[in-house]
Amino acid sequence: MSKLSHHDLIVLLLSISTMLILSRIVAELGKRFKLPVVMGELLVGILLGPTIFGQLNPEMFNYLFPRDGSIPIAMDGIFSLSVIMLLFVAGMEVQLPLMLKQGKLAVYTSFMSMVIPFFTGFATAWFFPEIFIDDLTEWNKFLFALFFGTALSISALPVIARILMDMNLFKTNVGMLIIASAMFNDLIGWLIFSLVLSLSAGNTDKMALGYTIVYIIGFGLFMLTIGKRIIDRTLPWMQTKLSWPGGVLSISLGICLLSAAFTESINIHAILGAFIAGIAFGDSVHLNEKAREIIHQFVTNFFAPLFFVSIGLKVNFIENFELDIVLIVLVLAYIGKVVGASLGAYWGGMKNSNALAVGFGLNARGAMEIILGTLAYNAGLISLKIFVALVIMALVTSLTSGPLMRKFIKQ
Amino acid sequence: MNFDLSKLKKRPAHPFETIAVAIAFSPRLEAVLAEAKRLSFVLEAGLILIHVGAKSQNKEEKLEKLLTKVGLDNNHVRVIWAEGNAVDTILSYCKLNIVDLLIIGALQKENLLNFYLGTLARSISRKAKCSVLLLTKPSVDAAKPKKIIVNGVENAKTIHTINTAIYLAENYMVDEISVVKEVHTPALAMTIADDSTAPEAKVLKKSISTEEEEKLQLVLKKCNTKKIKINEKIVNGKPGYAISKYARDKKADLLVMNSPDTQLNVFDRIFTHDIEYILADLPCNVLIVHSRL
Repeated sequence: MSKLSHHDLIVLLLSISTMLILSRIVAELGKRFKLPVVMGELLVGILLGPTIFGQLNPEMFNYLFPRDGSIPIAMDGIFSLSVIMLLFVAGMEVQLPLMLKQGKLAVYTSFMSMVIPFFTGFATAWFFPEIFIDDLTEWNKFLFALFFGTALSISALPVIARILMDMNLFKTNVGMLIIASAMFNDLIGWLIFSLVLSLSAGNTDKMALGYTIVYIIGFGLFMLTIGKRIIDRTLPWMQTKLSWPGGVLSISLGICLLSAAFTESINIHAILGAFIAGIAFGDSVHLNEKAREIIHQFVTNFFAPLFFVSIGLKVNFIENFELDIVLIVLVLAYIGKVVGASLGAYWGGMKNSNALAVGFGLNARGAMEIILGTLAYNAGLISLKIFVALVIMALVTSLTSGPLMRKFIKQ
Repeated sequence: MNFDLSKLKKRPAHPFETIAVAIAFSPRLEAVLAEAKRLSFVLEAGLILIHVGAKSQNKEEKLEKLLTKVGLDNNHVRVIWAEGNAVDTILSYCKLNIVDLLIIGALQKENLLNFYLGTLARSISRKAKCSVLLLTKPSVDAAKPKKIIVNGVENAKTIHTINTAIYLAENYMVDEISVVKEVHTPALAMTIADDSTAPEAKVLKKSISTEEEEKLQLVLKKCNTKKIKINEKIVNGKPGYAISKYARDKKADLLVMNSPDTQLNVFDRIFTHDIEYILADLPCNVLIVHSRL
């Protein structure tokens, strides 16, 4: 069995510890200015990566983050695991019953906040593909349009929840409406994105497309009905008979990886398995709140910084910054989401400026958008220029969401 | 059947002037009748028995025997024999007779298939336009409820529900009731994990709990709480499940809650929420108050 050499292991441990410690320091500093943690983590990636550290001290940069050999492979494994874990905890907060019980207003808002940005993105990419991609084959154009629509329609539940809590709006009707709609956006968004990833992996004929859709729906239905019931039945046993909290932690993460492995094996990306397993697990009434917090703490404070720092390590943000693309992505993101969500809320019965507040609330894209962009870039769906534009859009929408909501909200 | 809905509209949730009992000729019928008799006597309400199914001499004789056994006669009770779809027929007769409370015997837990398909008691609970009392363990001795727990959920109906629970408690001479509010904060764990210190997380959780306590106190101020002691309690967990667990842990005799706001369907059972958690596994006798707002 091949293994890391003594030297490689030291370098790997050094690079991981540097990423973890620096990202925590910068995130804590950013907190003082109410900046999202993910922004600090990305900034550390940019500082440590080819954009700054790579320019200032290329020798040291190549020593700490080598591009060849076994270290990048080990790192890639850790990053893949990180994204799977991130999707698992994102799924844990999607609660389908909450969407159901919010009624007509939530149905309209969720639907419109998904459909309008999706078609805004899809139509722009379909009719004006030359803005974004060079390869103009019909199939690639279609895949990119699907991806771009999804990228504009997704929301970031963690950022939105934090903004609502800071504004003391979380438990209000507006707050719950935004949360339920964000959950719906995430659920549908990741389902579509899994389909896009599967198609981009080479399943190009109509038969394969049909099978992929059937697999995705079938797997989702199985996990959210029978799978969820099995989890419901076994969780109380896990939490009382196994070591605490080790038992529930290892079993839950094990289920997540098992589910991810299954979806990967049927040619749907592993993230879908993790996301759906997260929903089935997180929706269980038997999941102890403490256990939920422990899983979140573990993933958010170990895997998330590694993943977001790694983005900056791979991408030169200055070289790949193109103002035109950034502005187009930003404008489309704002128009699609704010108009879609606000119209949905208005048609659902919210007749005052709160409808606009809902639109701006749902506009925050945060970490979810960055994960989506990274996976799309890794799958060869988008160029680095579009990826950088998506990262900037995710940060700008997250930073402006709170202040703009505050401007329109009427309590 | 033609209904004069104007008599039903805005009719207060209590007093219960007319009580109906949905009867089936099961081994528990005697106990259900005994419970209904006690309640109708305590509340001085009229009593109607509704049976959906073919009328036969055998059934009539059996019912008469049981009525005599529990101390009821034709002066106290009116029996309606009807045929058709059980749920719709019972609910139609309830509307026609301006029934305020419908009593039904219910199993504590249905098997999975029955739960999804919807049994008589559960289906009526979801659809009824009057209050419904589900008796899980009816007893021939029909002891009065001692521990009454009321759901203090944030809803316009809750004041009526609490007042109905108080009305019942006063008539049963129960000195105190517990009003429980469930606090469920989705995405809280995720938010705390992201960027909160331990003290910040504690303060955040405390502030959410305090806010809910204050809201509950505002609701209670509007209720008729002068003659009764009210225990306020905040429990964390998913709505429906948390209060159900609390009622079971506290060995409550009666759980009082609002009727559902929307027409519930099979999706609400698959993706269980609120009242469906309670109907899935009844923690004790459950009174679903229909406030005809």
